[in-house]
Amino acid sequence: MNWIQALLILSIIVLLVYLLRSRTSARTKAWVKVGGVLFVIAAVYAILRPNDTTVVANWLGVARGADLMEYALIIAFVFTTLSTYMRFKDLELKYARLARAVALQGVRVPEEQV
Amino acid sequence: MRYQDVWIVVPAFNEASVIGDVVADIRSVFDHVVLVDDGSKDNTADIALHAGAHVVPHPVNLGQGAAIQTGVEYARSQPGAQVFATFDADGQHRLKDVVRMIDRLSTDDVDLVVGTRFAEPTVSKPPLLKRIILRVAALVSPSSRQLGLTDAHNGLRVFNKKVADRLNITMSGMSHASEFITLAVENGWRVAEEPVEILYTEYSKSKGQPLLNGVNIVFDGLLRGRLSR
Repeated sequence: MNWIQALLILSIIVLLVYLLRSRTSARTKAWVKVGGVLFVIAAVYAILRPNDTTVVANWLGVARGADLMEYALIIAFVFTTLSTYMRFKDLELKYARLARAVALQGVRVPEEQV
Repeated sequence: MRYQDVWIVVPAFNEASVIGDVVADIRSVFDHVVLVDDGSKDNTADIALHAGAHVVPHPVNLGQGAAIQTGVEYARSQPGAQVFATFDADGQHRLKDVVRMIDRLSTDDVDLVVGTRFAEPTVSKPPLLKRIILRVAALVSPSSRQLGLTDAHNGLRVFNKKVADRLNITMSGMSHASEFITLAVENGWRVAEEPVEILYTEYSKSKGQPLLNGVNIVFDGLLRGRLSR
């Protein structure tokens, strides 16, 4: 085994532990964990047998496994960026409503109009 | 005094040098002014209060759209409030335009009157580049086209209680103008346009939004429907 393989597998296992230890308990989160475990299995396999990814790449008309991985990474990155953007917008709206509620508690009325 | 049922909503951010005159000017015609201080660092709020405005202070800066929503929520909860107007704090609007728009609201039996800089005959001239961009903004907005509006981003609007009660601006920044028009289409409000004059003083120019912000406005408009309300 190469050093890089050991390092990659180690980091993947750290990721797995982190994922499984998160305490959010909603049902959707459970599916995220299942997906995470599947991802870890696939990742360890791809690290130990990198040439097998080239086989999959060839099925899809891509020359090298590394290229296929990069395409997948780009798509995942764009998806993550967009969902983060939408989530931020959502939070901004909640934040604005919270600030508005605070503002309406602190109205100042001119004395002659009280 | 006339117009006892009118509330003027003024969103303001760091306008201390002009806000006193603007509020006093509004108060010479309208009794009820609510100024939303959008987290100003100067003493905009104190000056406006002294000039006779109700002041609603945002604890942090949220943007003009959020300030308008706050002001309308405050005004619509006031007893007797029936007519509402948004009015920019930098002194670029004229009061006689507001008065004419309020009269239009009742005579034309519409829910919302928006100001336009582009009605014929042209009464005011924005700088050329701004003119082009504002026209394009009106043309690319499906809602503005649907209602036949010529000016998508005029700060002067007059509307009735029905609009105020349903108003729910979610775009905190400068995209609220197009959102306002989109809400009008979605809710079936009757909309009319009234020619108004904008006083492009050096001060209001320096406070105006950079034209590049148009890119953000178009982008926000595309994403708007995908946000949970």
